[in-house]
Amino acid sequence: MTDPSANGIGGTGYTLEQLGEYLDAGRQPAVPAIDDSAECQAVLASLERVGSLSRELVTRDAAEIPALDESWFGSLLGAITREVKAGRDIPLASSDPRTHLSITEGAIREVVRAAGDSVEGVLVGRCGLHETDGAVRVELSISVLLGTPVRQAAEAVRQAVYSELLKHTELAIDAVDVTVLDVHIVAWEGEQP
Amino acid sequence: MTSLDEAPDALLAQRSTDGDAAAFAVLVRRHAPYLLAVATRLTGSRADADDAVQDALIAAWAQLDTLQDPAKVRSWLTAIVSRKSTDRIRSRRPSSELDDERAEPGERGPEQRAIATSQLDALAGILSSLPEGQRQCWVLKEVSGYSYDEIATELGTTVPIVRGKLARARATVFSEMEAWR
Repeated sequence: MTDPSANGIGGTGYTLEQLGEYLDAGRQPAVPAIDDSAECQAVLASLERVGSLSRELVTRDAAEIPALDESWFGSLLGAITREVKAGRDIPLASSDPRTHLSITEGAIREVVRAAGDSVEGVLVGRCGLHETDGAVRVELSISVLLGTPVRQAAEAVRQAVYSELLKHTELAIDAVDVTVLDVHIVAWEGEQP
Repeated sequence: MTSLDEAPDALLAQRSTDGDAAAFAVLVRRHAPYLLAVATRLTGSRADADDAVQDALIAAWAQLDTLQDPAKVRSWLTAIVSRKSTDRIRSRRPSSELDDERAEPGERGPEQRAIATSQLDALAGILSSLPEGQRQCWVLKEVSGYSYDEIATELGTTVPIVRGKLARARATVFSEMEAWR
């Protein structure tokens, strides 16, 4: 486990174990004896190399896993769909004082997302709802497909959300604020580990 | 209309946080193979990995509001998968003597160092032959990016024990990879 040489790696007195811990600590605080030793630097580079190889190995493992069949996803996605995130109830205006109608935030968000996504080249990201005295302000961020005119897309989303909410919810809508968060290209880019 | 299947991780994670199950399903399908690979290396068993990943994804859905950076959703999921994997490892103790038998991941068959044809194959063989505790510390450190403290917490042990296991794992991996070169 320690370096066979009694004087440590490169005569620095530091063992492989200590170099490993130095690496894990982000080479902080700096130890000049290690930083100035070519042998120690070579060992540190090798240790980093096996670390990055380990991450490559898992990425390769992932690529070699046979396609998962629908039964693998079935119960999982079923459990997720059952656990609906309804959120708070928001009251709806009613002409009859004896009835109290309300709609969940989750249902409103569904309507907002569907309306925004229906605009060509647009995907809805976040969707915030702010209720004041029964009137709701909708804030949503959108991502726009590269090449889509941004201003027109945002306005089309605003109108679509407004009219779909009126049609489906009878909410009192204060405002629909659309923020263009970013521009996306078609293929998703994987996160680098 | 752009398909959700092509949406970037960050957007899908944001929608999932707002309760969009369809967006979360896209993330699940996209990252399940990677998460299974991590869990298989950790637990040494594909069956345990399947269970750990499914548990982890259901747990993740329930705690999406704790996700800080939507663009790093895969790392966040990996941490939850690591935790569920170590839960499984803890619950199946004691089984130490048999563990080497199931150290081989999946259906791939024995990875013999002697016939390793690439560095990755060599590393796969070395990792598979490590004692289970050392392999888990290694994967949590190098793949999941955990600190010594976090590894000790996850495995229900102490920092000095983690440090010792990592040092032994590192010595083995280092010397065998050097020899292979």
